[in-house]
Amino acid sequence: MIRVLGLTKQYGAVRAVDDLSFDVAPGRVTGFLGPNGAGKSTTMRMVLGLDRPTGGRALVAGRPFAEFAEPLRVVGALLDAGAVHPGRTGRDHLRVAARTSGIPARRVDEVVDQVGLGPAARRRVRGYSLGMRQRLGIATALLGDPGVLLFDEPMNGLDLDGVRWIRRLVRQLAGEGRAVLLSSHLMSEMEQTADHLVIIGRGRLIADASMGEVMRRGRAARTVRVRTPSAGLLAAALMRRGLRVSPAADGDLLVEGTGAETVGDVALEERLAVHGLAEDRSSLEQVYLDLTGDSVEYAVAGLPGEPLAAEPVPVLEVRP
Amino acid sequence: MSAPAVGTVGGPVGGPAGTPAQPGTAAVLRRAAAAEWLRLRTVRTTWWCLLAAAVTTVGLGVAAAADTADPGGPGGVSAVFAGEFGVLLGQLALLVLVVLAVTSEFATGQIGPTLQWTPRRGVLLAARLTVPVVVVTVAGLLLALAADATALLVAPDLGLPLSELAGSLVGVAAVLAAGGVLAVGLGLLLRSTAGALASVFMLQLVLPFLLASFGVEWMEDLAELLPGTAAVWVMLGEPEMTAGAATTVLVGWSAAALVAGGWSLLRRDAA
Ligand SMILES: Nc1ncnc2c1ncn2[C@@H]1O[C@H](COP(=O)(O)OP(=O)(O)OP(=O)(O)O)[C@@H](O)[C@H]1O
Ligand SMILES: [Mg+2]
Repeated sequence: MIRVLGLTKQYGAVRAVDDLSFDVAPGRVTGFLGPNGAGKSTTMRMVLGLDRPTGGRALVAGRPFAEFAEPLRVVGALLDAGAVHPGRTGRDHLRVAARTSGIPARRVDEVVDQVGLGPAARRRVRGYSLGMRQRLGIATALLGDPGVLLFDEPMNGLDLDGVRWIRRLVRQLAGEGRAVLLSSHLMSEMEQTADHLVIIGRGRLIADASMGEVMRRGRAARTVRVRTPSAGLLAAALMRRGLRVSPAADGDLLVEGTGAETVGDVALEERLAVHGLAEDRSSLEQVYLDLTGDSVEYAVAGLPGEPLAAEPVPVLEVRP
Repeated sequence: MSAPAVGTVGGPVGGPAGTPAQPGTAAVLRRAAAAEWLRLRTVRTTWWCLLAAAVTTVGLGVAAAADTADPGGPGGVSAVFAGEFGVLLGQLALLVLVVLAVTSEFATGQIGPTLQWTPRRGVLLAARLTVPVVVVTVAGLLLALAADATALLVAPDLGLPLSELAGSLVGVAAVLAAGGVLAVGLGLLLRSTAGALASVFMLQLVLPFLLASFGVEWMEDLAELLPGTAAVWVMLGEPEMTAGAATTVLVGWSAAALVAGGWSLLRRDAA
């Protein structure tokens, strides 16, 4: 497992990671989330001893990573699939890796088959597509059959098949009892893959909780969609009760911060017809945006932490 | 490209419970050195550099030696002149080999994975210093020998006294080892291929000849402090210099570059 203890990294004026502490437990996939520049990659680099922490420390299986004599048997990592010497063949790249940790050469062919690199393994990396580089990186991570795995955006640039393959692989690795730390910006993938989430923003911890807990936290912010011929009257009634209401592009009403029961009851009380009533399932994407809204570092102008509703929401004119 | 089935990873899971007994430092160093040797062999540039070094050392060395053997030539040298003169020029290709072995990993980002595989930076430093330096030293010795033998075949009058040969080969080894260490150190310090190549060439070849060519005294004095001048002295016995001074200059530059480059690898962030 991985233990991050008060980890801090200062790059000149930038505090990339700020007193960050969390654990990555064995037997589950820990999703590592945060906006661009939040410090995810920097944290992983410090866990692997690539960057020296300004403060705090990171332990792998109870020891600093740099102490291991056969590191590939302890930790497999894919941080940057492009960071490979282009003049070497994929197979030779793996042979060099295997040699450093005393891993038998036949393991090289096993992982080449496992990631589906096939005959490309005998070609120079220069000619690899992004997907092939990702596969080579994953092959390297699996080489030493390690108990701890770190993947930094491994699905980047993969086709649909590749994304699903990574999802299954990561689930399987955790199922075998390994500790897996996985970062990604693909929330729907994360929702299907991770058991536990560590969310950071501007280098600080925002949430460290199971997927279930995080989703429950988002439940309070759910949205109800109502279809009614009396939109104006229902909206007014709901707003009198302190609820935020906005029109969707198709004429439905979006009611924030409550459940379908409340909206149904209000409609009954006011004796207004309802043709449709649906609760937007709170997706990880919504919860995530809600949690990290304040810490987005590189917000697109005009979209400062977009609110929860799916469509743009002009405030409704209330006609009594 | 279609996604393969998720195969089994196989074997027992390592980690906290299953951490196997760790091999000692000597074994780790041996593996790092073996990996380093494999790294060198598996990129084409290594072989291009060796080819260039062979052509230059043997070709130009033999040509220069044959020239002196001509009735009208300067005379007074044996066949070892071929190897010595050849290595003075051919060392450039060998130093390119060393610089690329060190700096290409910074340019490509490969240093990241490399440090994940060998996180003990002292071990990596030892392997990355030893293997390329030994490779170019051995290559230089073999090429010098080949040049000497070829020169003797081409111009048998030159002769090849064994005592002279032994001394000459010691000089070749010293020059290449010192140059190799200098290149490793500057490569680790500067991390840029262009920067390291430019500095090594300046110190080893361009400045020594340039400064000495103006005939200005302080420039000549300055040139005598450069490693390239000492290398020329070791090979050709010019300019006037004591063995002690030449050794001090060679060892001093290599040691200084190694300390600076070693500090850079041991202390700085990976990339
Ligand atoms: N070598 C470096 N020198 C200076 N600043 C750096 C360096 N590496 C990272 N940073 C800064 O540290 C912060 C965290 O970067 P990091 O790459 O860890 O973020 P991230 O969470 O991985 O982002 P992304 O989702 O875009 O990959 C950023 O502000 C970045 O500019
Ligand atoms: Mg990143």
